[in-house]
Amino acid sequence: MKPSLKKWLDSLAIKGFPDEFEAKRLLNLYKIATPKACRLHPDDNLGRLEFNPPFVLKVCSGNILHKTEQDGVMLNLDNESLPKAVAHFRARFPNSALLIEEQVAFKGVEFIIGALVDPDFGPAVMAGAGGILTEIYKDVVFRLAPCPPEEALRMLQELIVAPVLKDFRGIHIDARELAGIISKTSDLVFELGSSVCQLDINPLVFSRSSWIALDAKLVLNG
Amino acid sequence: MKITSDLQKLISPGSIAVIGATSKKDRVGHIIFENLMRSELPLFPVHPREKEVSGYATYHEIESLPDNIDLAIIAIGAQRAVEAAERCARHGIPQIIVVAGGFSEAGTKGKLFEDRLRTIPKMFGSRILGPNTLGLFIPHNNLDTIFVEHGDRALSGGGGVAFISQSGSVGVEALGLASNTGYGMRAFIGLGNKCDLDELDFLQYFGMDHKTTCLAFYLESFDHGRMFLEQARKIAAKKPVVVLKAGRSKAGASAVSSHTGRLAGSDQVVTGAFRQFGIQRVYDDEELCDASKTLAALPPSFGNRIAILTPAGGYGVMGADHIETQKGGVKLAMATLSPITQERIRLFSLPFASCRNPVDLTASADNKMIGDTLDALLDDDNVDIIICTAFFAPPSITDGIVDEISSRAVGSKKPVIVFTQYGPFTDGYLRRFHENGVIGFPSIGRSVRAAKFLVERAIILKALG
Repeated sequence: MKPSLKKWLDSLAIKGFPDEFEAKRLLNLYKIATPKACRLHPDDNLGRLEFNPPFVLKVCSGNILHKTEQDGVMLNLDNESLPKAVAHFRARFPNSALLIEEQVAFKGVEFIIGALVDPDFGPAVMAGAGGILTEIYKDVVFRLAPCPPEEALRMLQELIVAPVLKDFRGIHIDARELAGIISKTSDLVFELGSSVCQLDINPLVFSRSSWIALDAKLVLNG
Repeated sequence: MKITSDLQKLISPGSIAVIGATSKKDRVGHIIFENLMRSELPLFPVHPREKEVSGYATYHEIESLPDNIDLAIIAIGAQRAVEAAERCARHGIPQIIVVAGGFSEAGTKGKLFEDRLRTIPKMFGSRILGPNTLGLFIPHNNLDTIFVEHGDRALSGGGGVAFISQSGSVGVEALGLASNTGYGMRAFIGLGNKCDLDELDFLQYFGMDHKTTCLAFYLESFDHGRMFLEQARKIAAKKPVVVLKAGRSKAGASAVSSHTGRLAGSDQVVTGAFRQFGIQRVYDDEELCDASKTLAALPPSFGNRIAILTPAGGYGVMGADHIETQKGGVKLAMATLSPITQERIRLFSLPFASCRNPVDLTASADNKMIGDTLDALLDDDNVDIIICTAFFAPPSITDGIVDEISSRAVGSKKPVIVFTQYGPFTDGYLRRFHENGVIGFPSIGRSVRAAKFLVERAIILKALG
């Protein structure tokens, strides 16, 4: 395993259970962008943030995978409302860390990029229409890892949402860069090997001329 | 790591011993022995008591067989078969087929027998096909161990498809059906329980075999998934590989905690992996046979534009619908005929014929009109594939239409697929086209689907560079 990956695994707050903040640092190792962020452990004080509002506040724990279902996300916070929101979350999730992120504006469609280790074929990467309806539309395509960018481009062309990558209704989003992120995700799962179980990057959105992962969930093999 | 094998002596043996050969009719050991007599190879029946089988003197034990026997076929029950396989291997027979069931598919005791079989290749170097297999059928040397009806006479003409099936029953029934209308087969292999030889061995063997022009697999499990794909990609650069993967893969219990895990449970990883590695995926036995017979015989298309030629307008309309709604990641298109082609067709067709695609020559068409129109479509650069309808009901169309179409279709660089129907005579006409070397189907939907496989093949060749 690459030293940087080993170091990342060793750095996890709860061994084997990366939280969202940690999962996003892993994405950053593979040059996949994530919003500016600050993690507050239960005993940390809310200090001055190095990024501007609006903010997103999320509960951030390797043990809580479904933040939306637990009402663990608050949007559109500013410098005034943030401390109250933090206090509110602290009361509800006393033992969990919290994540404050810059809220990113975006245009166009949300994508999902995922990865898993298939019992027959080994590490695989997935791309498709993301957001909360992803499992209803099931518009996803798989490839085995490693998946070079050209193969990832072919993969995107197989999606029902493929037309949104070609200036659909005047919205320009970069298909090549998206293919590059799929390819990097496939490298990630390939290099993590059998220690990875599943990864969801959802949604991945196109914001201010580049792709950014707004949420990431990584399950490792215990 | 897998032992690589030379399967030459399995596919083209110089001599065969049959353990359990018997004169008792209806026994598997009898049927197999009688089948093998057609190969005219030196045969050595082994039976502890019988003196002769079908005129061949028997050997009472394996140890008294001559040296240099290439293949042993063991046609006795599971427990005794294990012992016989060990003795064959110790005697130096390099290839062994164990026909009997009653192994791992039959519970704990059978699993113990199979574990013993599994050690034989490691200890003695002999290779084992099976157990629980119908064995193989190689038309060109009349080698046939299949003891159930499988259209063997109709298939004996041989051809290019190596058909490798994990299920014997699916394999022979599919082939039986395909043989009704003609199917060009290089080899049938029943993998059985895969205690030693598996899909990867035969992928490699038939991938290198110059008589094989297409590989078709029915598989329920992969023993070396990733390696199979890597090898298949190398072979797919040279010849088509078609796989029917039955049994949707289940995501493990741990796999349901993410969107990706739940979405993968719907079998999507297999679809993606096959596309990535140049494998053409099919979903049932009929499609497996249709795809493999088409891909074995016809060249990949240059593009996806299809022309339909018919004397019956309705089938042209249905064909166009099939083309425009084709699913599965491959897009087909109705060709737009060039003005020159339309003018040519107008010159020799009737005034009420439609000279646009689908070309409808009407029920007043005759053999020559169909032949001339086929020429015009073959010459049109806007057409990549032609589906030519052969109907025998129109009064001016005669039996001669078979040769009229065949003479143009055979050897054409542009694929021609025949769609023919003639009530109870349909299969007979399909067989005649097959004997002429022409690929045909009894429905417009299957004809369009066959065209799709050729387009998909062209896309794969382009992607594999």
